Amino acid sequence: MRVFVFLLIGLWGCFVYSQNKETLYDFVDLPQSLMLNPGAEVNFDYHAGVPFLSHFHLNAGLRGGSLYDIFADDGRDINDKIETTLNKLTSNDYLTTTQQLEFVNLGWKSKKNNKIYFSGGIYQELDVIGYFPKDFAVLAYQGNQEFLNRPFRFSNISGSSELLTVYHFGYNKKVNKKLIFGARAKLYSSIFHVRSARNRGTFTTIETPQGDNIYQHIISNADVTVRTSGYTSLKELEGKEVVNKLVGRALLGGNLGLGIDLGFTHKVNEQLSITGSANDLGLILYSKDVETYKAQGNYVFEGFETPIQFSGEDSQNFLDELEEAIPLDTLSKAYITMRPLKLNGSIKYSFNRYDDGTCDCYIEGEQPPYMDAFGVQLFTQFRPKRPQYAASLFYYKRLFNFLRTKLTYTIDDYSYYNVGFLLSTHIKKINFYISANNLLEYPNLAKARGISLQFGFNVIM
Amino acid sequence: MKTKKTHVLLCALGILIQFISCVKDVDFDQVEDIALTPVYEVDFVYSKFDTNEFIDPDLDPAISIPEVIISDTLNYDLLGTDFVVDNLERVELTFEFKNTIQRDFEFDFGFLDENNQRIGPLYSMIAESGNGEGTDPVITTEVIVLDTNAINILSNAAKLVSSIQVQNVNSSLDGILELRSKGTYFINYEL
Repeated sequence: MRVFVFLLIGLWGCFVYSQNKETLYDFVDLPQSLMLNPGAEVNFDYHAGVPFLSHFHLNAGLRGGSLYDIFADDGRDINDKIETTLNKLTSNDYLTTTQQLEFVNLGWKSKKNNKIYFSGGIYQELDVIGYFPKDFAVLAYQGNQEFLNRPFRFSNISGSSELLTVYHFGYNKKVNKKLIFGARAKLYSSIFHVRSARNRGTFTTIETPQGDNIYQHIISNADVTVRTSGYTSLKELEGKEVVNKLVGRALLGGNLGLGIDLGFTHKVNEQLSITGSANDLGLILYSKDVETYKAQGNYVFEGFETPIQFSGEDSQNFLDELEEAIPLDTLSKAYITMRPLKLNGSIKYSFNRYDDGTCDCYIEGEQPPYMDAFGVQLFTQFRPKRPQYAASLFYYKRLFNFLRTKLTYTIDDYSYYNVGFLLSTHIKKINFYISANNLLEYPNLAKARGISLQFGFNVIM
Repeated sequence: MKTKKTHVLLCALGILIQFISCVKDVDFDQVEDIALTPVYEVDFVYSKFDTNEFIDPDLDPAISIPEVIISDTLNYDLLGTDFVVDNLERVELTFEFKNTIQRDFEFDFGFLDENNQRIGPLYSMIAESGNGEGTDPVITTEVIVLDTNAINILSNAAKLVSSIQVQNVNSSLDGILELRSKGTYFINYEL
C-alpha cells in the first residue's frame, strides 16, 4: 500500500512524454533518424553504433499535474494539495514512460547498388502507460461518504506495461531524384507484458430510504480483465534464475511478434522536402506463460439480516457470496495486442548552402550541405484510450562541420512551451549526440510535466 | 570568427543547462505528513418484525407472556484485516428503529471470538414503543462510537450475537418493528 501510494505520488508529474523524438526525427546527419523514418535521407556510406551506447532514450511524463503541485514548499498542508490535485486530474490524465537502449545498430550502402542502404540492429524497449484511476483514487483518499449515489467506474482502470527486445532490418532506396522510400521489418520478443483496458461496470453506494437497510452497495455489470504474460513463471523463481529467464526471453525466447516501419522522403525541389513514416505497425502473439484474470458479475450488499427468528440456516457469509456472484477466473488463453502505432510527418525547407568555394567542411565529392533549415513536424501515437498528438516547429543549424544542432518548439498534451534541443558533434568519423526537450523547465524540473532525453555514440563514414 | 565564438558559447550554455537542471522550491519531507483519511459508509445489520413473530395470533388475548427474546449469532468479521485495525481511528455504528408496536423493545449486540468467547461489552439500546398499526412509526436513533481502545479489543471478533427482547406481549398487539443500521469507518492512514 505504502509503495503504491509512493509510486503514484512520486510519478505524478515527475516526467511526461510519449515516444515523440521531435529533435531526432529527420535529423539526417544521424543514422538513428532511420529508426524513426526508414525512408529518411542517407548521406553516409556506413555507420556503426557503439554497442550499448549508440542510443539511449528516456521519455517520461504526466499529463495533468506536476511534482510541484504536491511538494511545493509553500506552507500549505500537503494533504490539501493532494486533494486539490486529485480534484483537478481526470481519468484521461496519464503517466507514461518509454525507455530504449540500442544494443547493436549497423548500416551500410549496398555494394551492388549505391542507391540502396541497409541497416539493422537490436534494441530493448520499456513502454509504460497508466491512466489515472480517478474514481478509485477518490475512493481510497476520500471514501464513499461524500460520494453516495455516485458510481465509481471500473473503466477508470486502464494501463499497460511491456518490456521487449526488437530485432530489425531496414531497407532504404533512392527511387529517383525526388523520392526515397524505406521499410524496416521488426521481430519483437516480449519479455513481460501486462495490460488492463476496456473495463466496464460500476460500484455505487445508494441511499435506500424505503429499503431493507440504509444503503445498498451495488457492483453493477462488472467486467474487469487484466492480461499478463511472462509474469506467472517468474513468481516462483529467485534472483539469478529470474535474470537467466529474462535474458532467454530477450534472445527470442519470449512471446514473438512481427511488425513493420514504413517511410518516405519526397523532395519537391532542391530545397523543399516532405517526409512521412509509420512505426511499429505490428502485433505480438502472447501464447507462452499467459495468465489472464477476469472478474464479471453483479452483486448487491445491504448488510446482514439479524437477529431473525428461526435462524436455523447457515448464516450469511459475505465474502463467499461475493466470490460466487463475481467469480475471479484465471485463464491462460493466448491473446494478441497491437504495438502502439506511431505516425510522423514533416515539411522542411533548407537554405543557405555553404558554397563560397573555399569550403573544406563537407566531404569531397558530395553536394555542399545546406547550413540552415526550418519546418513543421507532426506526431501521433495510438494509446489504449485515445491517440496522443504533438506538433513541432523546428530550426536546423549546421554551425560547423563538426557541430550540428536542431531547435524545436512543440505543442502537445502536456504543455504549450516545450522547447527541445539536439546537439550532434562529428569529429572525424566519431559522432556523439545528445538531445533533450522541455528545456524551459530545466531550471526547475519539479514543475515539469515531461522530459525526453536521448544520447549516443556512432561511427559514421 | 566572432559569430562563431558566440555560437560555441551558446552551445556550451545549452549543454550546461542540461547539467545544472535541478528541483527547486519543493520539500519532499512533506511525504511524512501525508495522511489518507477516507470515510466509508457500510451497511451493518437490518431486521424487520411483525408482532406474529413474537406471539401466536390465535392465542387468547387475555394471556400475557412476560418476556419474548429472539436471538441470533452470525459469522462476522467486523474489522477485516490488520491493516484496517491498525489504521482505523473510529467507527460510528448508527442504529435506526421504526416502531408501530405499542411496546418498548430492547436490542442488544456483542461480539465473540473464534472460540465463542465474548470480547468487549454487550451494547444495549431501547427502541421506543409505537402507537399501533397504521400510525406513523416512532423513530429511535442510537449511535455507538467505537474508539481505538474498543477497536483493539474487538480486533479478534469473529461472530456477532444480537437479540431483541420485548415484555408483556399478547395476541392483541399489532404493528411492525424495523431495524436499519450502518457503520461509518474513519480511516487515518499515515505513510
